[in-house]
Amino acid sequence: MKGRSPRLTLTMAGLILLVALLFVADLLIGSTRMDAAEVLRSLFGNGTPGGEIIVTQFRLPKAITALIAGAAMSVSGLLMQTLFRNPLAGPDVLGVSSGAGLGVALTVLTLTPVFTLSAGSAMQGWGIILAAWAGAGAVMIIIMAVSARMRDIMTVLIIGLLLASAISAVVSLMQYFSNEAMLRTYVIWTMGNLGNISYPQIRALALSTAAGLIIAFLMVKPLNAMLLGETFSRTVGVRMKRTRAILLASASILAGSVTAFCGPLAFIGVAVPHIGRLIFGTTDHRTLMPGVALCGSAVLLLSDIISTMPGGGHIIPVNTVTSLTGIPVVLWIILGRNGIGRRF
Amino acid sequence: MRTENIIAETVDLSIGYRTRNRVKIVMDHLTLEARKGELVALIGRNGTGKSTLLRTLVGLQPELGGRVRLQGMPLHAIGSSQLPRIVSFTSTEPVAVRNIRVRDVVALGRFPFTNWIGSLTPDDEEAVSEALEATGLLTLAERSIDNISDGERQRTLIARSLAQDTALLVMDEPTAFLDLPSRYSIVSLLRQLTRERGKCVIYSTHDLDTAINEADRIWLMTGEGIAEGAPEDLILTGTVARAFESPQLSFSSNTGTFSFIRKQQTGIALEGKGLATRLTERALNRCGYTRDPQASLKVTVNESREGTEWVVKRDTVTEHYRSIYDLVSCLAEASVQ
Repeated sequence: MKGRSPRLTLTMAGLILLVALLFVADLLIGSTRMDAAEVLRSLFGNGTPGGEIIVTQFRLPKAITALIAGAAMSVSGLLMQTLFRNPLAGPDVLGVSSGAGLGVALTVLTLTPVFTLSAGSAMQGWGIILAAWAGAGAVMIIIMAVSARMRDIMTVLIIGLLLASAISAVVSLMQYFSNEAMLRTYVIWTMGNLGNISYPQIRALALSTAAGLIIAFLMVKPLNAMLLGETFSRTVGVRMKRTRAILLASASILAGSVTAFCGPLAFIGVAVPHIGRLIFGTTDHRTLMPGVALCGSAVLLLSDIISTMPGGGHIIPVNTVTSLTGIPVVLWIILGRNGIGRRF
Repeated sequence: MRTENIIAETVDLSIGYRTRNRVKIVMDHLTLEARKGELVALIGRNGTGKSTLLRTLVGLQPELGGRVRLQGMPLHAIGSSQLPRIVSFTSTEPVAVRNIRVRDVVALGRFPFTNWIGSLTPDDEEAVSEALEATGLLTLAERSIDNISDGERQRTLIARSLAQDTALLVMDEPTAFLDLPSRYSIVSLLRQLTRERGKCVIYSTHDLDTAINEADRIWLMTGEGIAEGAPEDLILTGTVARAFESPQLSFSSNTGTFSFIRKQQTGIALEGKGLATRLTERALNRCGYTRDPQASLKVTVNESREGTEWVVKRDTVTEHYRSIYDLVSCLAEASVQ
């Protein structure tokens, strides 16, 4: 746990550069063909009206969302992996995304008719974020209660899977009783969508992600101790109950906020922390946390670029791309050098 | 008696578990002490509550009666930021991460001293290097914890405790799962820490031989309670024998070792000198024979320039063997017939 080495600084700078490049690329590349000059002109208000709408109302918010959501989901996954001492922990695997989804479904499918709001307006602002936090937090608490009793990694993962299935059954039931417009809003949401996010939504997402990341970073010291086990952490003075509660809140805020607006983004949370460990060759959260955040942004920006099928005129759900890139990483964790074991 | 040197003591302590609606006391009336510069071995059979006692000493489990005092202060009066500077604890909990370097594990021992983000000051760096040096890990410091042996991993945890710079080091079974040379090297390291650095080390173990040979003080847990003293005191009072003897096992107070009790002893006369004869007796004992000069069955060990030869005389028959193995297997065959 030495101070900054030149190699570390270089890696971090390289990643920042990569994220910046991918961000620009995400603006330049899209389903509609536009050349770089036109994109730039549109960005600064000198383009054609059509081009301006594409760039400022569609590409820019989408790129910002990818930047934020990638970092948030990845750091959330990192927190869960250390918290549960489980290399396969992540928002989607443990059912935390489903929990957030339940919160969203309750808001969109149930509360909408009660308060006679349009389905679209229910997706706005803080109401849905709070609902997603609550749902994510509830699942986290259940998983934590289980993992306190069951030390076995697999058991905890299976419980997560069961929770996700149970939640999806409840949601299906709710879908059955909802009208077509609400249903469509919800189904599009489940596909994982970085577009169609308004600037007020982006502001809410950015604020809550910033809060989650700051809380997470304040916990790097106890997180490092937790790598050596709970007993060790307690004997060096970590107050475990308080620490767990804070980490749980932070991970739920991060995963919940993203899930509220972008839908359940698959595999980013499980896979990216491992990519970060591989790149930085360390388990020290002081390095790993900013590193994983950058990797997450890069991966999601790249996934978004791929999902627009450059020049093809179609957009595939970003979830498809993150799954196809994330699953090999997860397989590598399971089948890799030391298998999944009890270590990561 | 210099009482200021008492690092840890318990007064009429009750240990056990407290769950939501009941209290399970594993053992009570424990009055023990450990001093500066002492190596204390906690021994006892499985399930007697060794871990519970150690965990209570370091504040991981509540005192259910009586009290623990560390450096003269009642445990419950020591603040949660002060306690890690007085006592460090190494449990049997495995390190769950791969890819963590030995140096990083040891550096986490500085946890109670570092700032909110855990940066190491030059003082901390020095404490880490010194702990690595004292445990002989300097050359392995940059290796990952997965690429070292079990014994080296245990040393890493001891170095971590050492970096924590506490007067009292408590360790739960630091020699478990280690081979014989590693066990000795760990215990002699612990002993060295007590001698050269004045640490007080309390460790639990199943390795009675090493404990009896190396510890300054033994806390011996039995079903009835705990006995305390120098290893020789406990041998002298017969406490060790009472605690561990069973129908199959007997304790020799002279040598401080255990041996199996053999059933159906047959007398055998043994003649000869030197190591070969002593080893022959050992093998004969294992096969159910005891030495008896009057016995009709007689073994003679002849050592000559060509090698060692074992001669068996049974009634009128005389047989010659070239190894102890041949000797005892033929004796066994004969006794079956």
